[in-house]
Amino acid sequence: MTTLEIPNIGTFDIELLEEGSGAPLLYLHGYERHPGTAGFLTRLAENRRVLAPEQPGYGRSTGFENFTDVIDVALYHRELLESLGVEDVDVVGHSLGGMFAAELAAIAPQLVRRLVLVNPFGIWLDDEPTLDPFGPAAEVKAAKWHGEAPKDEPTNFVPDPDDPHAAILFSAQNLGSATKFMWPIADRGLRRRLPLIDAPTLVVHGTSDGLLPVSYADEFVRLIPNAELALIDAAGHYPMVEQEDEFVSVVSKFLDA
Amino acid sequence: MKFHWFAEATYDDLPEVFPQRHQSGSVDYPAALVDSARVGANYRMQIRLMQQADRLGWDGLAVNEHHQSTFAMTPSPNLMAASLAGTTENAAILVIGDSLALYNPPVRVAEEMAYLDCLSEGRVIAGFVFGTPMDTAFAYGVPPAELRDRFHEARRLITRAWTEPEPFAFNGTYTKLRYVNTLPRPVQAMPPVWVPGTGSVETWDLVLDENYCYGYLSFFGLANARPIVAGFWDRVEQRGLDPNPYRMAFTQLVCVADTDAEAEARYAEAVRYFFTRQKGAPHYGAPPGYTSQASQREALDRAKGVSPETRLKATRGELSFWEYDELGFIVAGTPERVRQRLRELATELRIGQLITCMHMGNLPEETAAMNNELFGTQVAPYLRDLWADHEDHWTPAVSQHRVAAHAPRIPVPSRQESTR
Repeated sequence: MTTLEIPNIGTFDIELLEEGSGAPLLYLHGYERHPGTAGFLTRLAENRRVLAPEQPGYGRSTGFENFTDVIDVALYHRELLESLGVEDVDVVGHSLGGMFAAELAAIAPQLVRRLVLVNPFGIWLDDEPTLDPFGPAAEVKAAKWHGEAPKDEPTNFVPDPDDPHAAILFSAQNLGSATKFMWPIADRGLRRRLPLIDAPTLVVHGTSDGLLPVSYADEFVRLIPNAELALIDAAGHYPMVEQEDEFVSVVSKFLDA
Repeated sequence: MKFHWFAEATYDDLPEVFPQRHQSGSVDYPAALVDSARVGANYRMQIRLMQQADRLGWDGLAVNEHHQSTFAMTPSPNLMAASLAGTTENAAILVIGDSLALYNPPVRVAEEMAYLDCLSEGRVIAGFVFGTPMDTAFAYGVPPAELRDRFHEARRLITRAWTEPEPFAFNGTYTKLRYVNTLPRPVQAMPPVWVPGTGSVETWDLVLDENYCYGYLSFFGLANARPIVAGFWDRVEQRGLDPNPYRMAFTQLVCVADTDAEAEARYAEAVRYFFTRQKGAPHYGAPPGYTSQASQREALDRAKGVSPETRLKATRGELSFWEYDELGFIVAGTPERVRQRLRELATELRIGQLITCMHMGNLPEETAAMNNELFGTQVAPYLRDLWADHEDHWTPAVSQHRVAAHAPRIPVPSRQESTR
């Protein structure tokens, strides 16, 4: 557990996955859960120092009640980076973590060297209303994946032999925390702040994402001043899982440029 | 023992195929199935039945709030309460309740309940409800993660709006007001407050901290309620509080007739309609974040009084009329039988406030009026002695006095004298 105390805000005890050494990379996970030591993170850590905190309110990480809105989350990430002695950091944010990463890059542009947004939430298109990410479980599961859902989705969940309800409660807690920023529509005004992002940005998008059509990625690219798009075919909401090689390759290439 | 009249304002003309063809009677039901003129007739019937209940000695008339639902077409309980406050004399106006997180700003609740209290000469019971997941999260778009916080902030604001003598500023997270000076104020300095719950430990502690009445408002009867109600009374005991039965309200569908056979003939179709048309898509029932971790764990660990299979059978209409009765989902039959079963239920659960559901589904008005009359004259008077040794701090003094003076007593008045 890493403890972060922010004056006048509160205390955060968070699980921080740290792997590799070199230039720092902050990875912000998606709305469902932290992926744990997933293959793509290990590979990104081959020549980088990957810092992958669990979001407050997820798993065992606390401090969620200190957030009143998404700006608080951006300021929290700013403080977290400072406490880790990290500046000029590459930031990769997936899904809801993409929304948080974009907010951080808009609010603390001096901290973010390069930004990668992977199937990010955060905006809404009236012409293309999306599926409810909190809808019927089977429907959401089918929408997330291009192919069959993997038997084990990447997770940092650790089963507890003494607690038969642990998995249900873990999932309910994570998604419950996500509702703060995604319910009923995952739009907390990010559109107005995307033009403030200075960092060169790569928007990576699995083209089969039933939760976020490609038009959403296009809109991010349009609104961020210096952004390019990398579409990944045969992948849905988790391109880093369904097309790990291609994902690691396009992200590494962008970060190393 | 107190009795509060209640019915869900269910749309009474959903097609027979409704349960198969449509996944939900709420949130995203097909609006074309509902005829507004018929909705108006349903409302007028419900108001007449409640006016009759007032004359027959019910202690309270209960109205509730639901949104986008064919099962309960009462988006504003305050509106129906207003129809009653001005046209009834004795019974409490039990608004059970306003979904506090859905009013913006929540002083609207303070104003409207105060209006009702003025109009009814001090007969309002203020129900504060969280609101169902369908109402709050789906129909009204409140993030589940914020619902409880919003509810409590609104509750504090409303309480202060009723009780603080001077204008005050309120700087909440969700509501900011420079000048709170609510007009009108309630006739009762502070109306009694009821909070319904579904077994959350936080809600038990809330009602016990604030001396509110707790309502377990389920339509699944004694067996289903047993573990939750026991949990509540355990909590009362743990905290060293007075286990006054009037602290607790419970709902029960009631079907009275002169004979058991007549009860089946008159109510079976409506009971079946009630249980089969209230279908909701499962994910509407449990959005993530709506229930705290502690309460979820409690619910998962708690023994189920009624199995999910039995509930499913009930909502599929696969139970006979007397199976619904045996399970306690309804209490049906002659006045003698209903008296006996309600006495057992109220005694076992230690219920002082019984919310009797006297109309259900597509029941004809004539039958509901008969139900009212038989219950009001031949059931309620025989049960009023229960808990007579406890003082009820949770219904308005005015309605207690007036009902005591006017309610039918034993011996039963003859049919001609009554208000049928």
